[in-house]
Amino acid sequence: MESKMRPEAGVLGVFSDLARGAQAIRALRAAGHSDVRMASPAPFPELVEALGRPRSRLDSATLSGALLGVLAGFALCIGTAIAWPLVTGGKAIVSVPPFVIIAFEVSVLVGACVNLVALAVTAGRGRRRRPVPFDPRFSADRIGIFVVGDGLGDAETILRTNGAEEVRRVA
Amino acid sequence: MSSLASSREIQEKVLATQGRPGAVHALLIVAAAAAAAFGAWCWSLQIRYGLQVSGLNRPVGWAIYITNFVFWVGVAHSGTLISAVLFLLRAKFRTAVYRVAEVMTVFGVMTAGLFPIIHLGRPWFAYWLFPYPNERHLWVNFRSPLMWDVFAVSTYFIVSAIFLTVGIVPDAAALRDATKGWRRRFYGLFAFGWQGTDEEWRHYARAYLYFAAFATPLVFSVHSVVSWDFAVSILPGWHSTIFPPYFVAGAIFSGVALVVTLLVPLRRILHLESLITPWHLDMTSRVVLLTSLIVTYSYILEYVLAFRGPPSVERSTLAYRATGPFAPLFWTMVACNCVFPLLLFLKKVRARPAALLVICVLVNVGMWLERFVIIVTSLSHDRIPFDWAGIYRPTFVEVGITLGSLGWFFLWFLIFVRLLPVVSISEMKEASVHGVEDAA
Repeated sequence: MESKMRPEAGVLGVFSDLARGAQAIRALRAAGHSDVRMASPAPFPELVEALGRPRSRLDSATLSGALLGVLAGFALCIGTAIAWPLVTGGKAIVSVPPFVIIAFEVSVLVGACVNLVALAVTAGRGRRRRPVPFDPRFSADRIGIFVVGDGLGDAETILRTNGAEEVRRVA
Repeated sequence: MSSLASSREIQEKVLATQGRPGAVHALLIVAAAAAAAFGAWCWSLQIRYGLQVSGLNRPVGWAIYITNFVFWVGVAHSGTLISAVLFLLRAKFRTAVYRVAEVMTVFGVMTAGLFPIIHLGRPWFAYWLFPYPNERHLWVNFRSPLMWDVFAVSTYFIVSAIFLTVGIVPDAAALRDATKGWRRRFYGLFAFGWQGTDEEWRHYARAYLYFAAFATPLVFSVHSVVSWDFAVSILPGWHSTIFPPYFVAGAIFSGVALVVTLLVPLRRILHLESLITPWHLDMTSRVVLLTSLIVTYSYILEYVLAFRGPPSVERSTLAYRATGPFAPLFWTMVACNCVFPLLLFLKKVRARPAALLVICVLVNVGMWLERFVIIVTSLSHDRIPFDWAGIYRPTFVEVGITLGSLGWFFLWFLIFVRLLPVVSISEMKEASVHGVEDAA
């Protein structure tokens, strides 16, 4: 599926070998290319590591969601118990131990939902900000490495010497 | 080994499972639909004539419906165990089997969720289970374990469904790019614009880790909560502190056994033998063996605790369970859950899919009987001897609804395997590049 965002001008290298792809990324970065991107059919940690991108910052959103869930769970239990103060089983109206179970479940539920929303937002934004030219092979059996910026001739050479099957300019 | 040479082959094998079903598959769908329709008809009889058409009567007020509820919730546990817990433990064999387990989880919870509603007798009041603002300011009782169940099972369903959907995204993108026409549009819906860029994988890997981290305590909490439905009561046979770990182990046991039960025919019908290999079945069956031993230990412990002190009501209940009118079911349960799985110690048994299938079907029968025995025998033998005259027997309506639930579950499952990938394409590609099975 072709992205509606038009990628910037650059050089695209197509690889069929993971180790060579990772090596090419490292060589490109060592040569001073700061904007190197890639597309791959599987979550290869070697490639992500070679790119040296910072760790995703989903943590704070997800943790906030989980904490919000704890508060919401307790608020629901305590609020409704006070609104309908009926003693059951001789227990206190605000009986914390059973409410912990509800708070835990709501925490997991809200945390997971926030995690999902955070993933959709961050992955979508990342895809739009750092697009890679579309090629159906990148979701099948090839790795695409895309270099943006100056010195594209040098990037072409690095991609070829590191085993790219195909190198092309993207206008 | 770091070539992606086998990636396209993996994708094509999974893509070949999608599309028009073959004769066997179509027949299975029709059979499942017929069973579900029969179950729906039986339920309609119960709605029309009331719970008198069931075998529920004093003292057995909980029976086959609650048995089915606990069984299906238990079955649903393996999905999260395999996809989340084994993911965190970096168990490589999960790659080929976890999607089946996740799908089973979602449809298992969907099936389980029907039974409390069926058991209500007046299903149109099911919404009373949920807290909602109303003009009389009436609220649900959060101190009741039944309410904990509503929250635990609902949360489990939603989180499992999210986990399954997120896992499908990269695979749907791969199939979207490999197909044309309506299929391309259909897979596009599940791909959410995925292109496999480094930015997407970076956030995806982190988010997936968090989903696993959220789902893992759920595995242990949900069936603990289900066990508290029984354990926090004062009924002998139910009121036991070992119930939460006992139920969790039993849930994983039955769930993983059902995964094997589904995988063995599925890999053959869908020609996935090269992706779901004997090694995957071997490793999964080891989990069955391990949990069988835990369950056996729990059974023994339950009796030891009851019989080591002075005579008690609990001892009387457990003796009734093993020697009373339900004794054949009890001993069948022991044979299915404790004896037959011991064959899995033999490597040659684990290497034979047909043998695994037979053992795992027996385990599922045994685990269903376990829930039935716990629920029904404890209620049958209460503390009023006057009540002991009545022996619970399920009516054809209850049996029909139970069969219908099997049909309902398999109908969804069989449709799913033809519409969406039943093996994780992206993780299989990663495993093939890293030579997971070769290294194992």
